[in-house]
Amino acid sequence: MFATKFLRSSIFSAAIRESSDICSILPKRFASTAPQIDVFVVQDSKDFDERVKNSKVPVIVDFFATWCNPCRMLTPRIESVIAERKGEVVLAKVDIDEHTELALDYDIGSVPVLIAMKNGKVEDKLIGLQDTDKLRKFVDKVVKSK
Amino acid sequence: MSSMAFLATRRFAGGLASRLLGVSGPGEVEFVLIRRKAQAPRGAPSQTSRRFASTSSRSSHGFDYDLVVIGGGSGGLAAAKEAVSLGKKVAVLDFVEPSPRGTTWGLGGTCVNVGCIPKKLFHQAALLGESLHDAASFGWNIPERKQITLDWAKLRESVQNHIKSVNWVLRVELRDKKVEYINALGSLIDTNTVHAKLKNGSERILKANHILLAMGGRPIYPDIPGALENCITSDDIFSLPEAPGKTLVIGAGYIGLECAGFLNEFGMDATVMVRSVVLRGFDQQMAGLITEEMKSRGVKFLFKCVPVSMVRQADGKVKVTWKNLEDKSESSDLYDTVLMATGRRPLTLEVKADQVGIKLHPDSKKVVSEKELTNIPNIFAVGDILEGKPELTPVAIQAGKLLAQRLYNNGKIEMDYDNVATTVFSPLEYGCCGLSEETAIERYGDDNIEVYHAFYKPTEFFIPQRSPARCYMKVVCQRQSPQKILGMHYIGPQGGEVIQGYAAAMKVGITMEQLMDTVGIHPTVSEEFTRLWITKRSGIDPTPQSCCS
Repeated sequence: MFATKFLRSSIFSAAIRESSDICSILPKRFASTAPQIDVFVVQDSKDFDERVKNSKVPVIVDFFATWCNPCRMLTPRIESVIAERKGEVVLAKVDIDEHTELALDYDIGSVPVLIAMKNGKVEDKLIGLQDTDKLRKFVDKVVKSK
Repeated sequence: MSSMAFLATRRFAGGLASRLLGVSGPGEVEFVLIRRKAQAPRGAPSQTSRRFASTSSRSSHGFDYDLVVIGGGSGGLAAAKEAVSLGKKVAVLDFVEPSPRGTTWGLGGTCVNVGCIPKKLFHQAALLGESLHDAASFGWNIPERKQITLDWAKLRESVQNHIKSVNWVLRVELRDKKVEYINALGSLIDTNTVHAKLKNGSERILKANHILLAMGGRPIYPDIPGALENCITSDDIFSLPEAPGKTLVIGAGYIGLECAGFLNEFGMDATVMVRSVVLRGFDQQMAGLITEEMKSRGVKFLFKCVPVSMVRQADGKVKVTWKNLEDKSESSDLYDTVLMATGRRPLTLEVKADQVGIKLHPDSKKVVSEKELTNIPNIFAVGDILEGKPELTPVAIQAGKLLAQRLYNNGKIEMDYDNVATTVFSPLEYGCCGLSEETAIERYGDDNIEVYHAFYKPTEFFIPQRSPARCYMKVVCQRQSPQKILGMHYIGPQGGEVIQGYAAAMKVGITMEQLMDTVGIHPTVSEEFTRLWITKRSGIDPTPQSCCS
């Protein structure tokens, strides 16, 4: 049947689109030879404690959901801003469905939310999709603060 | 840790987190979700009575919880939130057993995950397709009909993403309101004890003063060879990875009709198998019109037929054999998908309700209940598990809220299960409220019932030349003046939107005389109710002659 065939092929194309979306949220620097890993996905609460709370450098925590379109748009923007700082600040990504308790502990009601953390303390919070300029100011503020 | 200390710690932690996070205002940003603030309950108690309630009740009954709710659907969540707002300590257990096809979902119950919400969105997708075709005659330059097709994967993903966002909102809401959420399968050990089997396999025992059963139901798989292995149900349809293709829907209740309706509009081959009647329990004249409308759109019907067997073929298709109950003949055909929609069963045995002595209806296994009470004094029930009550989300919500008010706030209002409006979201919608014509005649006698009716032509149907043949409405009322209205029935566009307001009017006892006295909004479909004047008894042709005045 024509309709069914068409539907099947469109599923295929959707799968390609989906995988490209997923690529953009995976840690980009794992495979590179760069010494500093500045984007990573939080695995569990222990991982969060070790790599976020105990981080030597400030951390931007990106609370996101796979079903959230603004989150998908925010990801490449914040990643590029973090990359500009060349290791002065790192980005930790938290999938709120995978780590619900963690997200609820940080009062995440809507996504995307960016939280700036330094020495284990929350310094700032940004809710919703932002343009790159605003993200740059947000990151600058936490990097420069004492 | 005492329960009070537990609550206090939670509150402190919550406060700390929000203080830590500071106050950065949203500014010019885009949100996916905005947390809804807790609404003040109707007749909210004063601060004093709240505090009094929370201290006194806990010390008096000695259980860990004031209320444990089994089931995180519409009814259970509504009751839990209401009880917490009245100062009670509440836990909600929610767990979804995967469907035989392996489909599972999150918090919120049937309506949010595999019912009203995805159904309405798929229906909307179907309506948009229809509007696209109409648009050409209104001057829009759009591709040829054949080129307008549906991307099933895209639709599924959009709908599933929306559902997941709702799951999250509900989760946050429970946390905000301090309802303890336990992702566990609950069952009754005794009348004050709930066993919780958590997702990771660990177990918990919860002691509660009150227990609310709100498990809802799941689709039935009839005992037919191959059915369990080869059929999907409404649990699966909205998350199917691939378009269902040629589909046989077994069952002609509202779920079956709605699914067949949107699949047909999506351009798939859809057949409905009907054992006895279409839309049992609904007005049968209206059910007949809905059937005619769906046929005219291309849905096929197999009347008086029951499935005999289902066998998966090498190419993945399912060969369904069925029997005609009238001439006893057998036939068969191949389908890509077979959707079983022959009814739902309550999850009462799963929670061992029978084993603690809760009275269940012998056939349906639903809870026999008056005013949401069971025969066990401290166990209550709401929602789809109640025998003889409508299986509708807003009914469960209302019943759950009112029950909590009666239990914890000296509330006096009881749930009114009469005159609840509902809508079948078939391609042309059927909205109704109150009695069907046959029930009204049965209760009041033919001589005491008047039925006003009319076919009508929606203004927007003329230009695209859509058929108004099944656009029909009727009002069933008492014959004696002032002709109190007993039932209102509407088939046409926006059935849900049309009937809701009339449901409020019926709630306050609207009469036919008052309805006739109401001035309509022109040009709308809803105004046609105010223009009714032909009675069935008069024998006058209810078909409109012209368009206006």
